[in-house]
Amino acid sequence: MVDPLNVAVIVKLEPDFSEGNVSYNPDGTLNRAETKNILGPHSAIAVTAAFYAKVKHGAKISIGTMGPPTAESMLQHAQLMSDADELYLYSDRAFAGADTLATAEVLKSGILKMQGKMDIVFSGHRASDGETGQTGPQTAWKLGMTFFGHVIDYEVNTESRTIRVKRLVRLQGIYDVIEEIEAPLPVFIAIDPSYKPKFNTVSQRLAYEKYQKEASQRSQNSKQYLKVFNATQIEGDPKLIGITGSPTIVYKVERIPKGKATRQAEVIDGQDREQIRKIVARMNQSLSTMVIK
Amino acid sequence: MTDGDFRHVYVIIEHEDGKILQVSLEMLGEARRMMDDFNKKYLSKEKVVAVLLGYNIKEISKTLIQHGADAVVCADNQELRFVRNTVYTKAISQIASDREIATNIEPEYAVQFKRPRYMFFGADSIGRHLSATVMAHLDSGLASDINKLVVADLQITHQNKTGGKPLTYEKTLEMYRPDFSGFLWTTILCLDNRNPATQKDFHPQACSIIPGVFEVIKPDPQRQGTIINYTPRFDEQDLKVKIIDRKIVKSEIDFDSHKAVVSFGRGVKDLPEQNIKLIEELASEIDAQIGITLPLSKRPFSVSQTVDSTYLIPDRVIGTSGRKVSPKVYVAVGISGAMQHIAGMKDSEFIIAINPDENAAIRNECDVFVKGRMEDVIPIFIEEIQKQKQAVQA
Repeated sequence: MVDPLNVAVIVKLEPDFSEGNVSYNPDGTLNRAETKNILGPHSAIAVTAAFYAKVKHGAKISIGTMGPPTAESMLQHAQLMSDADELYLYSDRAFAGADTLATAEVLKSGILKMQGKMDIVFSGHRASDGETGQTGPQTAWKLGMTFFGHVIDYEVNTESRTIRVKRLVRLQGIYDVIEEIEAPLPVFIAIDPSYKPKFNTVSQRLAYEKYQKEASQRSQNSKQYLKVFNATQIEGDPKLIGITGSPTIVYKVERIPKGKATRQAEVIDGQDREQIRKIVARMNQSLSTMVIK
Repeated sequence: MTDGDFRHVYVIIEHEDGKILQVSLEMLGEARRMMDDFNKKYLSKEKVVAVLLGYNIKEISKTLIQHGADAVVCADNQELRFVRNTVYTKAISQIASDREIATNIEPEYAVQFKRPRYMFFGADSIGRHLSATVMAHLDSGLASDINKLVVADLQITHQNKTGGKPLTYEKTLEMYRPDFSGFLWTTILCLDNRNPATQKDFHPQACSIIPGVFEVIKPDPQRQGTIINYTPRFDEQDLKVKIIDRKIVKSEIDFDSHKAVVSFGRGVKDLPEQNIKLIEELASEIDAQIGITLPLSKRPFSVSQTVDSTYLIPDRVIGTSGRKVSPKVYVAVGISGAMQHIAGMKDSEFIIAINPDENAAIRNECDVFVKGRMEDVIPIFIEEIQKQKQAVQA
């Protein structure tokens, strides 16, 4: 009898960038007050990857987030997507102002508060607001777990307690590589945006439906599955969290000055057919020149 | 803290089986310029140190010196042939904390040296994650996706860092990071906690650097430098992570074999479905590949499944978070011209922008600015292209 897989996902509440929900200031910057917050799109993919482990191996799923109390409804949404068994919200004013390192400290402590030892922890590729992509790997490092980024596919062998992952590595200016790696569990996976789970067999599709049904029931009573931890309860080192634990500060924010014009644009009226005819001719000329590489 | 504790800039070099990635040379170039100014300003002799890990790589140490490194720390070992995060993180962290290496670089600070002052990584598939784990290991601060660096003495008043008192932080690295919108620049600093209640050193000050931003210096075959060979200590457990297979893949979205690229941005938002159809038509007339700006890969519109999965995908993003292209003809439709996007297309030969807003930043980056709504302008373009094709055939 093999132990069931124990899987965690860390997710983030982010501004909803979809049209109609996102609001920009006249200067092109994000209007945070007017923009709704949702489960971040990369977080959502991480949740999907965890659900795959549930369908395939009956994994137990715990989902955690550091955020304000309002993040609860996001956790409910994540539960609906994954049939999560437990939800964790790490919420405290003391966490505020944290940079990635101090955030990773809270998430590490939070994951250690989840039930049982984790076999796999998933995170998104990056947040769509902060966009650093650092929090996942830093959390992994603090947990002492092997980290894999850009993971596009994975398969677990529950008997040998090993995992095979495929990652897409872009070597800019050279080529892209798909790497296949084998490693002993536990591992931490930052899932690639292109990840898509495949449910190929009949039994997987049946399991998929079963868990989906369970997920919709559970998420209606999501509070039952939720545990909230504050800074004291999480038992992290107060010196390593929040502003105190953050090596970096934001010193200033400014508008990026318009660069010097690199080209002298000829401005033409979009209704002027004669002008457009000339532009098309120039374009064709450019296109017809030989390419010598 | 004395001036000998934290010295030099360590630049983490990436290569693929001995072929150096461009971003690594760009970082060396910027490190060279920065430290030349630094040494002049502070009458100092701090070095640019290239950190090179791999297998059968000794030859490229010389190339790194020619491109601006004063010293190369070379760890040449079969276990380092391909990047494995844990193995690399530990090796780099060992190198960064190694006093013997520091002694070879600069004997006069042999006793004091603790860690590098600054550290650079490439903001790409490998460097981004390595920077995160190395800095977690060294317990210091990291700014990601930087495109401008300034060293300055700054007066800081900060509740936590200085206990609310004004204090001068010398030789501080101002790390400029463009935000996701492309309109804001955030300057990030990595500062020691000097508040007695929370006292802590945070060095190195580290960042990951966007590829394609900084200039490579002209290689100088006469440049001299020190090559230091280093043998890392490995943990058996870490070596159980095995790379089974590596397949070279071409992206499904191929920009390089097309002479033209048509890209679109948030400007399609009024009628996304129809506008994207128009753009598709225009692109097919000139056999162009289709690109998008970064915000569109966040799928901000509800469009049909096909349009969504064909176009609003990261693989099509042009700019610092995506591909760099330089086609014969580049048509920017409904693109405002955020600097991240410009960085990905500025080397195109002939650039046409279609945009209703004459004040859009893209105007400074194109050869022809067609003022108008894409719904009106693109059909005229398509007609004219078709007419001229017929003329050629006739």
